Amino acid sequence: MNMMAVRFGLRVHAARAVTRNPSRALGIGAARSLSSDSDFSGVNERTLVAVKPDGVQRRLIGEVIKRFEQRGFRLVGLKMLQAPDKLLAQHYVSLQKKPFYSSLLYYMTSGPIVAMVWEGHNVVKTSRMMVGDTDPAAAAPGTIRGDFSVHISRNVVHASDSVEGAQREISLWFHRSELVDWEGCDHKNIYHL
Amino acid sequence: MIILCLTIFANIFKPGWTGANERTFLAVKPDGVQRRLVGEIIRRFERKGFKLVGMKLLQASEAQLRQHYWELREKPFYNGLVKYMSSGPIVAMVWQGLDVVKTARKMLGETNPADSLPGTIRGDYCVEVGRNVIHGSDSVESAAREISLWFEDHELFCYEECGQHWIYA
Repeated sequence: MNMMAVRFGLRVHAARAVTRNPSRALGIGAARSLSSDSDFSGVNERTLVAVKPDGVQRRLIGEVIKRFEQRGFRLVGLKMLQAPDKLLAQHYVSLQKKPFYSSLLYYMTSGPIVAMVWEGHNVVKTSRMMVGDTDPAAAAPGTIRGDFSVHISRNVVHASDSVEGAQREISLWFHRSELVDWEGCDHKNIYHL
Repeated sequence: MIILCLTIFANIFKPGWTGANERTFLAVKPDGVQRRLVGEIIRRFERKGFKLVGMKLLQASEAQLRQHYWELREKPFYNGLVKYMSSGPIVAMVWQGLDVVKTARKMLGETNPADSLPGTIRGDYCVEVGRNVIHGSDSVESAAREISLWFEDHELFCYEECGQHWIYA
């Protein structure tokens, strides 16, 4: 009885081992190849996230930073500034014709802003998800706007809306010398390349 | 004569350093940034009621750090400290509020985390003195010195805070 069980087990194990090896090898190779193609360049994608004057006044800076840190993104730029009119006019150039443009600029210059650059795989898209809909009433619970804002005019944070937009905005808000490249010790536990 | 009196008064009541305008310098060290504690630390000072008037992420140079830790230059750990502080980015901050230098020191806990109470930053997040996550100015005078070393005037902001009259009587 025991001998039969042992033999049977061995056979099954051997069979499984044999069948596993080829598919495993192929799977691993394919996975690496695919992830390398997308992740290698994508892991260095950057976005601009800014805590607006209402977020600074309401003491939400730490909360916002904490969410991005815990997600696994890397902070490569951070500063507090009183944004000049000129910079905001360039930043919001696409909204120049909108009826709310002048009150938007007034509000954005009403107090200091904390501007950040976050880096990581799909960070532009992901940060938009984390920040939530522009209108807080439509923003999901668990998002920054969904949790911390009520009205569209005071929606706490800005996040770049595209990869191209992010690059433009980052060069607008930060000098190259203000961005720090650093290797996170937990990189291998956030990405598999 | 009037100008002389005004000058004396200006020096006695120097703005930005006394009462609710007292300022301190805090820096999240490379280990704090690596361990993703920046947001948590900022959150604690925000929740306390202090006002953030300056902040930036930077890679500190050895020259700047040697100047910052000048008073410790005779200590055996000086070179190791400078090396560690320049090993990665730090988040430098200036916080403002009543007795902020003393209070921030309380919030940070003892330099050696083993002596730090739970509820303090070092008591909650640190184990060894060589990796104690955050620096805080140890006096009002050294705060002024450190702030001028790390920040230019245009990087510090005066603004009216909406909740000010619910934090101070």
